[in-house]
Amino acid sequence: MGAFIIRRLLSTLLVMGLVGVFIFLLLHLSPGDPAAIIAGDNATPAQIEAIRTSLGLNDPLHVQFGRWAVRVLNGDLGISIFSNVPVATLIGQRVWPTISLAFTTIVLAVALALAAGVLAAWKAGSLADRLVMILSVVGFSVPVFVVGYLLIYVFAITLRWLPVQGYSPLAEGFWPWASHLILPSIALGLAYVALIARITRTAMLDVLAEDYMRTARAKGVATGPMLFKHALKSAGVPIVTVVGIGIALLIGGVVITETVFNLPGIGRLVVDAISKRDYPIIQGVILLFSGVYVIINLLVDLSYTLLDPRIRY
Amino acid sequence: MTRRATTSRRSFLKTGLAATAAVAAPGRLTAQSAPGAAKTIRAVMHGDLTVLDPIWTTANMSAYHGAMLYDTLFGIDANLDTKPQMVSKWGASDDKKTWTFELRDGLKFTDGTAVTTDDVIASLRRWAARDGAGQHMMQRVADIAKKDDKTFQFILKEPYGYLVDALGKTSTPLCYIMRKKEAETNPMEKITAYVGSGPFIFNETETRQGVRYVYDRNPNYVPRSEPASGLAGGKIAKVERVIFENMADSQTALAALQAGEIDFYETPPIDLIGQLEGDSNLTLEVLNKTGNIGWLRMNFLHPPFNHVDARRAMLYLLDQEDYMKATFGNAKYYNKCASNFGCGVPMENDANTGWFKEAPNPAKAKDYLQKSGYKGEPILLMQATNIDFMRNAADLVAGALRSIGANVQVASSDWGGVVNRRAVKAPPDQGGWNLFITWADGNAVSNPIALAGHAATGEKAWFGWPSDAKNEELRDKWAVAGSLQEKQQIARALQENAWNFVPHVWLGQWVAPTARRKNLTGMLAVPGVVPFWNAQKA
Repeated sequence: MGAFIIRRLLSTLLVMGLVGVFIFLLLHLSPGDPAAIIAGDNATPAQIEAIRTSLGLNDPLHVQFGRWAVRVLNGDLGISIFSNVPVATLIGQRVWPTISLAFTTIVLAVALALAAGVLAAWKAGSLADRLVMILSVVGFSVPVFVVGYLLIYVFAITLRWLPVQGYSPLAEGFWPWASHLILPSIALGLAYVALIARITRTAMLDVLAEDYMRTARAKGVATGPMLFKHALKSAGVPIVTVVGIGIALLIGGVVITETVFNLPGIGRLVVDAISKRDYPIIQGVILLFSGVYVIINLLVDLSYTLLDPRIRY
Repeated sequence: MTRRATTSRRSFLKTGLAATAAVAAPGRLTAQSAPGAAKTIRAVMHGDLTVLDPIWTTANMSAYHGAMLYDTLFGIDANLDTKPQMVSKWGASDDKKTWTFELRDGLKFTDGTAVTTDDVIASLRRWAARDGAGQHMMQRVADIAKKDDKTFQFILKEPYGYLVDALGKTSTPLCYIMRKKEAETNPMEKITAYVGSGPFIFNETETRQGVRYVYDRNPNYVPRSEPASGLAGGKIAKVERVIFENMADSQTALAALQAGEIDFYETPPIDLIGQLEGDSNLTLEVLNKTGNIGWLRMNFLHPPFNHVDARRAMLYLLDQEDYMKATFGNAKYYNKCASNFGCGVPMENDANTGWFKEAPNPAKAKDYLQKSGYKGEPILLMQATNIDFMRNAADLVAGALRSIGANVQVASSDWGGVVNRRAVKAPPDQGGWNLFITWADGNAVSNPIALAGHAATGEKAWFGWPSDAKNEELRDKWAVAGSLQEKQQIARALQENAWNFVPHVWLGQWVAPTARRKNLTGMLAVPGVVPFWNAQKA
């Protein structure tokens, strides 16, 4: 197990290194000049050239890459070329809204989806099953921004129950924090509820058809413990895999959700940086995302050993 | 004997509560020290404030930021007349070659130090190194000399009537006065400390880059006694705090305004204006009356637009109505305009605008294009697809050109891609271009010196690199002209000449209404900047 974790962590470094090279080349070879964007529309070519020189953008690509790589290896993600603020500081300021959103979304999605998936499997072929499946298709098909605007219109503008936008740190109170996350979490979580509910239903149907479940029923095990203690645990591996994939997919989903609900998270930070060609921020955040992605996959792999004793690394 | 560490439910709760209190404390302290909602204006402006140095960039958001915390020597009022701001007295020698300026009493930076001529002179030099009008001015300046801590002089090589107007202009970058310490920063590098002598103080602790920018009232600001008007008069901050919230999504900003979470939204999209007009809690108001002017830029370096007849063809081909209607829809907010200096401004005139009355005349446009020697080679039109006006206008230009037989290739990218490629002077098939679309602030367009695009200095000019000696001679004359009448006369001559050599084609002029909650009053109308002094909440 220990050797497996070390091997995976080392491979994380390799993956992040490759991501770093790829992102650097992609950014620097694609059209768009931060100097021209900084200078504004009324700037002359000479002014833009002066800014390019001052930012070091006229240096050969390998020199720019080397400069960046050395800094990263020393733990320095660089400084935003627009705001002069260190990238690490910007990420530090933005990471909590994203973690909060991802956490509440996953908790909400997993709780709802497991209940719905188990119910659908238990009552397979019934009206409840059909309803869960229909809602899953709808939840998976409607884009986040459509759900987001609808929720804002109903709950924030018409009913005035919840705020339209923004983020309040947990340090300023639980309700302000939660109230700013309810609508975004629902909007973002709907697709994951659909995804996880469907896989839960399928996995549970397989398990419920097993002999040992029939035996449990025959021995008079109550429905609740039978479904949630015995069947759900056995069906856990594919569900955890999908939850893991869902967390990784969240990285993409938060970008739109953070924009619609004006949450000052990592997603908006990177989108704003891309539109401005703020290379250090883009590189830093994508490096962070790739690390998170690899670690989530590692955790999912490790969780298999808890759910299925036959699996060993 | 060692005691085994155990965690009981009680100790767990205690630790948890203590940790929560510790984490929550800074937030609570912040919340307690923040002014109440009635004394705070929350505003969503047209974009993010990415650069905090208003001299280093021409970005309008940086100019807005500058207007909050820095002051200017002069400022334009609501009638676009230049009025003194930090200056109390000024005057020129008989030969108009020495201008003497005296600073007002009591001017102080927010760090408590007095504003002196050392600060002013350093600020002037840095601004002039970055600004087109400043560079034009400095070609005529022999020296900027300190007389004493409150008095300085411009020693000119020749009379320069535009001097005071340049110091008070609102096209970016504005001539903001900083401490000598920051003003001595290399003009090609950004300042890192933001200390001004204006009506607000930049609150860096509460500011979150890319999220919100916080400005607190400067309790030590000494306003002028005249009533506030544009960027002139008494800049009295009537609220304790102004927050620029960065909200990328317009629909979210509108919802936030309707829900009362923000007080002011600078640029609600025109197509959503109807949604706001029916809301009794909101007011729509055009603050920048000179608006914006859409602009087709042609590349003078390569065929076919290196030939004047091809450029004339574009004058006759395009109907501004199409371009305005496609993006702005509501005729209340746009107009067609033939003047090279925009409409509704002192330099507006009708010299040499026969083409405007005739356009669109595709037959004539086709004749001109053929006369230019055009043989069907590809015309590369850059299209920024992420900006509505630019995307729509490029589609219309391409369609119009194709209708007269031109071979148009549309190169689509985001605006960043256009910005990158427009700097390439190579032929279109080697990474260059023939046409691109942008827009400019109406107030900048109204000024032959302030708008870089008015210069026709060839390879040194703005993208497209037009070249015309007469244009430059007339711009110089305009800059030294003393009276408004004289300037207007020269502006006519400039326009007469411009529509002969056709440096660009206008695509129409529009204004953008701002939206605000009804309890927010006192917003000042001025082009180029949105001031928040004088504004208050009921």
